[in-house]
Amino acid sequence: MLKSWRVRLALVLAVVGPGFITANVDNDAGGIATYSVAGAQFGYTLLWTMIPITIALVIIQEMSSRMGAVTGKGLSDLIREEFGLRATFLLMIALFVTNFFNIIGEFAGVASSFELFGVSKYIVVPVAAFVVWGIVVHGTYSTVEKVFLSASAFYVAYIVSGVLAHPDWRAAALSTVTRPESAGFRNYGYLSMIIGLAGTTIAPWMQFYLQASIVEKGVTARQYATSRLDVIIGCLFAAIVAWFIVVACAATLHSVGKYTIESGADAAQALRPLAGEYAYLLFAAGLFNASLFAASILPISTAYAVCEGLGLESGLDKRFEEAPAFYWLYTLLIVFGAGVILLPRFPLFRVMVLSQVANGVLLPFVLIFVLLLVNDRELMGNYVNSKWYNVVSWITVGVMIALTLAMVIAQAKG
Amino acid sequence: MSIVALSELLGAAVRDASGAVRGRVREIAVAPQDHPTRIAFLVVRTAEGERMLPHDEIKSAGVSVRAVTEAGQWDRFSSTDGVLLLKRDLLDQQIIDIHGRKVVRVNDVELESTPVNSHLLLNVVSVDVGARGAIRRLSKGLVPSFTLRALLEKIPPRVIPWQFVDLLETDPARRVKLKIAYKGLAQLHPADIADIVEDLPPAEREAVFETIDEEVAAETLEELDPDVQVAIVESLDKDRAADIVEEMDPDAAADLLGDLPEEQSAEILKEMQPEERQEVTQLLEFGEHTAAGRMTTEFISVVETAVVDDAIEALKGFEGSREAVATIYLTGPGSKLVGAVPLVRIAISSPAAQLSDLSEPYVACAPDTPQDEVAALFDKYNLITLAVVDEHGRISGIITADDVISMLRHRD
Repeated sequence: MLKSWRVRLALVLAVVGPGFITANVDNDAGGIATYSVAGAQFGYTLLWTMIPITIALVIIQEMSSRMGAVTGKGLSDLIREEFGLRATFLLMIALFVTNFFNIIGEFAGVASSFELFGVSKYIVVPVAAFVVWGIVVHGTYSTVEKVFLSASAFYVAYIVSGVLAHPDWRAAALSTVTRPESAGFRNYGYLSMIIGLAGTTIAPWMQFYLQASIVEKGVTARQYATSRLDVIIGCLFAAIVAWFIVVACAATLHSVGKYTIESGADAAQALRPLAGEYAYLLFAAGLFNASLFAASILPISTAYAVCEGLGLESGLDKRFEEAPAFYWLYTLLIVFGAGVILLPRFPLFRVMVLSQVANGVLLPFVLIFVLLLVNDRELMGNYVNSKWYNVVSWITVGVMIALTLAMVIAQAKG
Repeated sequence: MSIVALSELLGAAVRDASGAVRGRVREIAVAPQDHPTRIAFLVVRTAEGERMLPHDEIKSAGVSVRAVTEAGQWDRFSSTDGVLLLKRDLLDQQIIDIHGRKVVRVNDVELESTPVNSHLLLNVVSVDVGARGAIRRLSKGLVPSFTLRALLEKIPPRVIPWQFVDLLETDPARRVKLKIAYKGLAQLHPADIADIVEDLPPAEREAVFETIDEEVAAETLEELDPDVQVAIVESLDKDRAADIVEEMDPDAAADLLGDLPEEQSAEILKEMQPEERQEVTQLLEFGEHTAAGRMTTEFISVVETAVVDDAIEALKGFEGSREAVATIYLTGPGSKLVGAVPLVRIAISSPAAQLSDLSEPYVACAPDTPQDEVAALFDKYNLITLAVVDEHGRISGIITADDVISMLRHRD
């Protein structure tokens, strides 16, 4: 009994990683800002969104990881093979631009978290850029995965700071599981916050990154059941972290009427007098960890996806002359992504909004490609979506697309 | 004789003998069983469905295609059995570039058209994997074709001649029909094949290992990471896996089988020849990180009374790895190890010379010597091979320098 339990644990550990990491990177600088704002502005009343959002996240991530395990190919490879060069080319340009905006957002998160401790961004951002470059260039897949898994574990900081905020547990738990009051939906701010939460949860780059790391880890169709567990555990953990961020801000900021904050750093600052020094420190450190984590993943995953889709040589095992496009893309993304943060009077807030809009415009295309590919029997064999799964996933994707488009329109207007 | 790109032909209008446009080119097919490079027919999408325009009825092919026959005579296109469809099977797919020794993605395919009597002969000559093919396809229909052609002239081509292209096909039956045998790939150095294989998705890896010669497969497998070795062997059927494992160095085979789940390694062992099975089973019993776990049981030993000529005869009959012949071991009564003669000394001595006179002091270790000590011995005595002897002084195997190098590089 004990032995079989141990064997099973070893099996799980061998496959855990990609799904867990991807779901956690999703709680990046932008995600933390959104959850904080949601808590500060609407208290516990938006907690009910956590369950449907988690389900949507699991459904979409599960399809990407299944595709990686069954085909052994990355998402951009599959799009290229099934939909041709032109579609791939346009998609890759869009992915590059979108991810570039996202990378700026992550470095902005790094800068603002250290500014809380009084360290200048002119020191932190170059150091962070160098660290990002170093982790990836000098690590193998398994060492990088270990670094990333530890970074994922550090998200516990948010759970602790949530506890330190002394929330009303009963009220929080109740509003997580009860149906929201319909009166709220007539409030424009409330509605757009729901859209914001949904939009920040599923980003286009995640599908590319998750599928690529499943492939790189060498997960096969036979190990797939364990891999699905990895995705589910990862999404649950990420959702719990998000829940605690909302709760921390709701219990402190919202309850004293401090409704308006704009970023994760704002939230940390505002927490300080209300929840104490430790909660503040953990919140700020969590923001730094999350931003650096996402900043490490985005440039490399973008360079891989673009090069593979366009059939350019890629891979860290290649020398610069062998894979110039790959190294150029990677370097440009880091140098400019970090560099623009250092420009004086850089319109950071507008770029953050732009990055949300870019994500939103790209997401429908990526999700539709994913659904078409995962249902291609020639590609997936018996691993295509079952009928009911297809219904659920098309509905999920449809709702996600509708919400994201609504967000894009709302942000474009104001 | 001129070159036309697949992407230019796809979608081109097709006129029949009457001069009227009857449809557009949808696919181009090669039938490798009839001819390895010649276009067998064009698939034309007409108002009446998909039709086949046979190669000997094509009069010209460029911006538009002209046929010498009437559209009514073209057969219906139904089966894709046994034909290679250039758009579906090649365009945007990965192939192995034998010459460049890597996996690349196809941007376009170049066809050579030669007028013969009344019709046109079309042959596949190369695949385009560079910017030229990509730009041609991206700007097709957006830039006027003559401007495009002028522009493309300026881009240096990156093409792979067709004879250096190995297609990736995961369906075994189709591989046979399309005559895909990975002959080009199999001629590369096993280390290069291994690099290529590492870039392939699992199903394509399996395809390569199912198809290539067992001996090459075995050598390639030895060059791969242990994880990848295990994944490949697990994907093959047990017969094929056993055939490949038999060809491997016994020490490498033992390492591999030791990494496999017990059930599977037992099944593979069962399928192996008794002799190879016994060698590998012996090695499997020792710990992987000891001298015995690292040694190979394929080496050359002759009795101490033998002469150089006898050693050369033994060399001729030896089937083990080249690394193992660097030293020829001498055995005395009771198969005890008594001497070692470097191959160089044999090469420069007369055929009748006594091997015992050529013998040099040798270094040996016990089977349970930890691998770090083994490496230290190699370092200290500048060894090429090291004998492993049992408690009775009998030689049970040898370790070669290449084993030590890979052991040091893959230390966990």
